[in-house]
Amino acid sequence: MIIAGSTLAATALALLPGTASASSHREAPLIAADPYVDNTDVYAFVSPDKPDTVTLIANWFGLQEPNGGPNFYPWATDAHYDINIDSDGDAKPDTTYRYEFFTDNTRQKDTFLYANGPVTSLDDENLLFRQYWRLTKIHKGKSELIAKGQAAPSNAGAASIPDYSKLRKQATYPVGKGAQTYVGQSEDPFFLDLRVFDLLYGGNLKETGQDTLAGFNVNAIALQVPISDIALNYDGKKNPVVGIWSDTERRSLKLSPGAAKPNGDYVQVSRLGNPLVNEVVLPVSLKDAFNGLTPDKDATIPAVVKRVTSPEVPKLVEKLYGIPAPKEPRNDLVEIFLTGIAKKAPTLDGKPAPIQADLNSQVLNSDANPKKFQPSEMLRLNTAVPPTAKPNRLGVLANDFQGFPNGRRLTDDVVDITLQAAEGAAQSGKIVQALAAGDGVNANDKKFGDKFPYIALPNNNSVNTAANTQGSSALPFVPGGTGTGLPTPSILTGLLAVMMLGAGGVLIARRRPTVVPVGA
Amino acid sequence: MTRSRVALLLVLAGALLAAVAVTGFVSARPADLPAAGAPSPATTLDRLIYDAQDTLRREPGNAPKWALLGAAYVERARISADPSYYAKADGALRTSMRIAPDDNASALIGLGQLANARHDFVTAASFGERARALQPATPEVYGVLADAYTQLGKPAEATDAVQRMLDIRPGLAAFTRASYDLELHGRRDEARAALERALTAALSPDDVAFCRYYLGELAWNAGDVDGAATQYRAGLAVAAQNVALLQGTAKVAYAQGRADEALAAYQTITTRVPLPQYVLEYAEMLAATGHAGEAKAQFAVLAAQEQLYTAQGSNDDQVGAIVAADHGDKAEALTRARAEWDRRQSVFSADALAWGLHANGRDAQALEYAQRAAALGGPNATYSFHRGMILAGMGRRAEARAALAEALAVNPHFNPLQAPVARTTIASLEQGS
Repeated sequence: MIIAGSTLAATALALLPGTASASSHREAPLIAADPYVDNTDVYAFVSPDKPDTVTLIANWFGLQEPNGGPNFYPWATDAHYDINIDSDGDAKPDTTYRYEFFTDNTRQKDTFLYANGPVTSLDDENLLFRQYWRLTKIHKGKSELIAKGQAAPSNAGAASIPDYSKLRKQATYPVGKGAQTYVGQSEDPFFLDLRVFDLLYGGNLKETGQDTLAGFNVNAIALQVPISDIALNYDGKKNPVVGIWSDTERRSLKLSPGAAKPNGDYVQVSRLGNPLVNEVVLPVSLKDAFNGLTPDKDATIPAVVKRVTSPEVPKLVEKLYGIPAPKEPRNDLVEIFLTGIAKKAPTLDGKPAPIQADLNSQVLNSDANPKKFQPSEMLRLNTAVPPTAKPNRLGVLANDFQGFPNGRRLTDDVVDITLQAAEGAAQSGKIVQALAAGDGVNANDKKFGDKFPYIALPNNNSVNTAANTQGSSALPFVPGGTGTGLPTPSILTGLLAVMMLGAGGVLIARRRPTVVPVGA
Repeated sequence: MTRSRVALLLVLAGALLAAVAVTGFVSARPADLPAAGAPSPATTLDRLIYDAQDTLRREPGNAPKWALLGAAYVERARISADPSYYAKADGALRTSMRIAPDDNASALIGLGQLANARHDFVTAASFGERARALQPATPEVYGVLADAYTQLGKPAEATDAVQRMLDIRPGLAAFTRASYDLELHGRRDEARAALERALTAALSPDDVAFCRYYLGELAWNAGDVDGAATQYRAGLAVAAQNVALLQGTAKVAYAQGRADEALAAYQTITTRVPLPQYVLEYAEMLAATGHAGEAKAQFAVLAAQEQLYTAQGSNDDQVGAIVAADHGDKAEALTRARAEWDRRQSVFSADALAWGLHANGRDAQALEYAQRAAALGGPNATYSFHRGMILAGMGRRAEARAALAEALAVNPHFNPLQAPVARTTIASLEQGS
């Protein structure tokens, strides 16, 4: 055969998109996002039905689409999923609850199936992929195995899992005396319109009002422990304040030759205390550094501190909406994010604390040594504030002191609270009316339970089906709630975790499993 | 194959490739097979790109979003093997840099990834270093640096970058690079272990496919045909249309004596994604099975592609040099191998230069580079074959026989044309002819 001067071929090839590349080298994945170990949210509240206990909920691996199965979302088996408690305020964990997982997929044999029939119990033979956890309590330098159990599986659809509540019940285990834990899938309890910051920047908040996380699931660890278990000197009366954050460590790998074992150290890859820190406080350039940082180092990084004392959001709001930004340095935000709220909160510049209330700083603990206090970003909870019968979504801003930023309940509207706090509402005691509608999403699309683990059962319908998208439209007083609840591609902005704030180039990214190249 | 059939093939390839570019490989998973993970990455990436475009229409001054879009295009190009996204990536990343010329690490990382993809490793390393100065805790920085330094022949710097990436974000992107680094240094068991960890951190079908393919390649390159087949099959269970995995199974079919099946598979593969590597392998397989005419047609396709690359200013001479040495103009082979070596002194370019010198009868010089190609210690059947043939050309019979035997011991199926040559050469060396 003859190819005429290859001109014809060249012409045809010129039409091919494939011809510009002759890549002769290996191209590995470029994106370093790691949803399996990515913290999404932390909740901490005095249990409404057991007020002598605290419930801690940490979520990972957001944006799980139920999709009617076949997708499932395992826990990483080379990771530490940690919930940390700092009861004396030195920014180091006094107690760590560490969950580690292992997988039993021997029943899968040659298939890749998750289940091969209805799964009606945790030990149902149809459940082919099983994960088990062990819970270690690390306290005063000692590690103690305190519980073992099986994780509830991913909700692979109504045909595979006809009754998830039964599995969840079985996957709820007692832990020692007076404590219990649940590990498994959950509906994502976080409710917000992820576009809020994008739209805020665009100068148009009218389009908000959709719970962009409606329909998605997360992997959840819920732990309920007696207050005395985590209080300083086991005394919740004298020392009612605890700091809480979650972090995840994945095991590294050593390349240097000669090591008997190729595995390296466990490395912190994700952390989460207060909500929205990644979205509102940190710029993209600090996000990776912050996720590897332990809280005791927070205040030693000037760039982090500056994002709290001189935040971006109020400046933008001033520019776009004409609402004057509060005066800096913002020691009210230092109290909310870094020290806890107290009349004598140890602000970084030594000036008097602007929020004159004794609420939730560890310096309020009688046995804490204020000299050892170290400002750090964590969720702080005063366990002495009793549960309210009717929680207000605006928490402390509405004089409901059991709510965020005193810990975080499932129903707390942290977006609206944070937005108002950024505008100085915690200090002034006044809601900024122009932004009162916030993101227009005031409650979760699914109802929370009144008993442990309180979170809703995982969704089992595809995100875009009506069953999962009542969203905010079902709620009253939602400005701009359009009622369709169907995420359009543009709504997925937020889902894809990219929000932009400010011409200064503040990229804020919700810590969600996403395709986020280049450290966004 | 007639001239019109070649033209038709090319047009068809264009249409199919465009279809692939639009849809990705999403729809390929059979409904009854479960995926190991979540939403299809092509869809996720589609959404990301769509959304970034949407935001940028409203906010054209959003520098981070431009950087994000640019990097997403590079990733899209990698996954879809559709390099038309490179130009788009370039535009988006440069726009980002124009809006925010200082402290724009995201754009620098994207530009580094793009330069690596385009084989411009010196530029990639430079972008990577600038990004490292700004954001030393960002894992993607070290992905850029590791890829660039590996290809530039700076193994110590490459290993350091991979280790740093592992220590910041041990996950898919770091484990896959760790595996390659270990493999290049001949530490195959550890390379496999690293890939197995990557597999547990993979989420999208494309990522699972990547891990399965290179687990398969580790087995294949060690002559373990069955082990390779198992991995390729496992990958196809979640990414049924993944071209790399199809190429793997085609090689396996050939090694297991099913040449017709292998050739049919290669025809499909080269139609869908006419990467030079695939066209070359197809051509060589055709030649090895007595289909001389069809082989010639494929070599013609390859040559036409080469012209285009040159016309487009591509500076990837490595594959071109090897192809020219084996099937084309020997002088050109040496020119191009020398050009590649001048750009980067890596094991890859050392091997190409050795082979280019050998093709021109300069075996004494060739041997020097063949030895440099083996410097990192990783066994490589093709490199051993090249070294053996060079030694044979020099009359160093015992060493030649040993090197050729080593090639066959590492992987008896390393190349459909050259493995038989290795065998006959050993025989002739033993007969003293």
